[in-house]
Amino acid sequence: MCDTGQCGWCECEVDGRPSVRSCQVPVRDGLVVRSEHAWPSADRDLLGLLDAGSRLVPPTFYHHRFLRPRRLRQRYLDVIRGFGGRGRLPVTRPSKARSRVARDLEVGVLVVGAGRSGLAAAEDAAGRGARVMLLEPVPGRARPRHPDIRFLEGAAAVGWYDGVVTAIDDSTLWSIRADAVIAATGTYERIPTVRGADRPGVMGARRLVDLVERHQVLSGERALLVGDASDLEAAAGVLREAGADVVERVPTPSLRRVLGRREVTGAVVIDDDGAARRLDVDLVVVGDRTPNLDLVLAAGAAVQWRDGVLVPVLDETGRSSVPALSVVGSATGHGKHAAPMVAAARALVCFCEDVHADEIRAQVSGGYGDPELVKRRTGALTGPCQGKYCLQAFCAVLADAAGADAITAGSMQGAPTTARPPLRPIRLGDLVATEETVEA
Amino acid sequence: MTLPPTADIVIIGAGIAGLGAARELEARGAGRIVVVERDYPGAGATGRNVARIRRMQLTEELSRVAMACQDKYERMGGELGSNVLFYRLGYAWILYEQDEVERMRDVVAMHERLGIRSALLSPDETLHHLPVFTGGDPVAGSVLSDDAIVHHDAVVWAHLDHLGSSVSVHPHTNVTSIERDGSRVRAVVTDRGRIEAPIVLNATDGWSTQVNAMADVRMPNRPRRREVLVTAPLRRTIEAAVTFYRPAEGWFNQTLRGEVVMGAVDPDEPVGVNQGSSWAFLRRTAELMTRKAPALRDVTVIRQWAGMYDITPDHQPIVGPTTQLEGWWQAVGWSGRGMLLAPFLTELLAEHLVSGKAPEMLRMFLPDRFSPTTEAEGGQADYYARYSPGGASASG
Repeated sequence: MCDTGQCGWCECEVDGRPSVRSCQVPVRDGLVVRSEHAWPSADRDLLGLLDAGSRLVPPTFYHHRFLRPRRLRQRYLDVIRGFGGRGRLPVTRPSKARSRVARDLEVGVLVVGAGRSGLAAAEDAAGRGARVMLLEPVPGRARPRHPDIRFLEGAAAVGWYDGVVTAIDDSTLWSIRADAVIAATGTYERIPTVRGADRPGVMGARRLVDLVERHQVLSGERALLVGDASDLEAAAGVLREAGADVVERVPTPSLRRVLGRREVTGAVVIDDDGAARRLDVDLVVVGDRTPNLDLVLAAGAAVQWRDGVLVPVLDETGRSSVPALSVVGSATGHGKHAAPMVAAARALVCFCEDVHADEIRAQVSGGYGDPELVKRRTGALTGPCQGKYCLQAFCAVLADAAGADAITAGSMQGAPTTARPPLRPIRLGDLVATEETVEA
Repeated sequence: MTLPPTADIVIIGAGIAGLGAARELEARGAGRIVVVERDYPGAGATGRNVARIRRMQLTEELSRVAMACQDKYERMGGELGSNVLFYRLGYAWILYEQDEVERMRDVVAMHERLGIRSALLSPDETLHHLPVFTGGDPVAGSVLSDDAIVHHDAVVWAHLDHLGSSVSVHPHTNVTSIERDGSRVRAVVTDRGRIEAPIVLNATDGWSTQVNAMADVRMPNRPRRREVLVTAPLRRTIEAAVTFYRPAEGWFNQTLRGEVVMGAVDPDEPVGVNQGSSWAFLRRTAELMTRKAPALRDVTVIRQWAGMYDITPDHQPIVGPTTQLEGWWQAVGWSGRGMLLAPFLTELLAEHLVSGKAPEMLRMFLPDRFSPTTEAEGGQADYYARYSPGGASASG
């Protein structure tokens, strides 16, 4: 869905390696890609029946079950274990060890993210004479002009450990200690919390543009645009140019349901007069975005629920509750952002772990409304995306069911749940360095 | 929920020790019990472990205790009416040195005498059962048993759901001081009010040194961080929970969800309350595990976290009353075995509290085996060094 390697919903077995985020793998001759989530195959997926029965197996389905008869307890769990897991570990054919370097260094200002705001912050700090380092995970996205900016292209920040930001690229494990860290980490798509939003054919506006312009891939012909973000203008232009129909554009709260079992085959929208209409579309393009809080949460900086969006708590200079960390640009959540949404009962909130809105509400009414307990009891926030794509929706449901205070009231850190590094998935083999260097 | 002004028993800490004690005390009609917890139930070591329920221990005395502990878990689901996901995953000590193998012959013979199903495997048998070690550091052998894992969170909820009306649990309630009345404990003061009670149980494990200090009780247990990483879920692959102690200590296993959890222990981890995660841990673990089991290069780390081991000088928990302060009970110092030991040992504690007499099996864990001047736990000594050959002594 995200096309940036963050959501994890495209994980496949690639050339025998499990859990590979396939959106980040260029296609070439001889590439062997296998679905990990389907059985016996993605085209004829019998496990899809589990979707139809999802009401029967809520996340807490085992709590009071599978105890009788006692002699079958181990067998029940064998079966449950059989459904668990996805990728197959190539036990006797491990990947070759890669040689990496670990580098420790100190800089004055570290800017994370080279979008418009990050680039401007880096140029500004360098112009004032600071030693600046700029990290950007996406190669080719930006090029700083100031000659003294040290630009790590293709390096993704993966953690904040006691003020040290770690990052990883193809050859190096970086540990960067900076006097000031500026998070210019931008936003994530917000998937509407309606039924069917997990179907292939629902995608973010920027991804759609990217796929068409960079890869000449368009995965539908009749598009519904959802939201009022400016990204949708660009998406509409690209769609028309590629010969696709823009069937309609609706505000986010009007979207009630996405239809289709295996892929998008339609959508239901509600008009101002309350009447429901079915649209014949095969593409649902969403424009809403919410702040990327990964680094903020990892640093333990406070966040707050404001106008239906979780945003960092910042002073007038953009400084967070952790003095070394500032936030700039769209990651602050200031300015125009997504319209608040109230999730429908059977809307998926956590796509990774298949958690529906009513299952979160059931925890609140059952006396387990502490976000840490909701997380543990439902599994929400714990899947491959680690909450990147569901934290906002999770908080929205919680706020609706238990009040906005419930989001951070129980927390000792001013966040809904404890942040867990790393910020991105990392192959264990990529964490092995064969050489160490420390730069003065 | 407001805090009552008085109670018969106040339990500090809603982890497995505090909740286990609450359940057992309630079952014995011990009166009105109030449990106070600084965070959410299970927020400390109870929610930060991998819940291995292992009978096979290095000494006979400990193995006997561990057998009773595992039996308790096997019955727990039925008794509490909630599934705690007790599952016989299997358990293996991987051995890398020949003297370890020699030593384990005696240990396995002792297990057989007790009725614990363990076996000493050759290097080939080890790789056959655990092919994940193929191509890694050469193994000298292994000890394999049919030991179990549970789901630690499910254990917490099973207890919470089961507790009756004589127990109230108060999360997000922080203890700020303990009032003494001469040689007796009088009250627990929290940021949400004061509760007077003749009996107070300190069940705070990693925080127990701080809580004991409020009551002016001195114990030699000290907390140290232990870290864990979790991978993306994989199909069923690794058919045992694995641990190796020498030459470096580390462990891994697959959960029922298919994730691999693992950790390499830092022998120099300093004393202190610390639940933060470190980059050094990720690198240390990656280096050690990919050397032992090269296939693990291909697993994907998605999350890491840390909990605490509250370690005593003899690495056995501190369970029972103390002569240092009348009415002050402890269930702390679990030394990394709280999930295994606490449900059974808090049953013995409840028995002791209600009957006034310490059950035989509780004796080795009583707090007064340490004096107020016992030197605090010094460091993470070699695991085996604490156990004499043949497994005759548990406390040495």
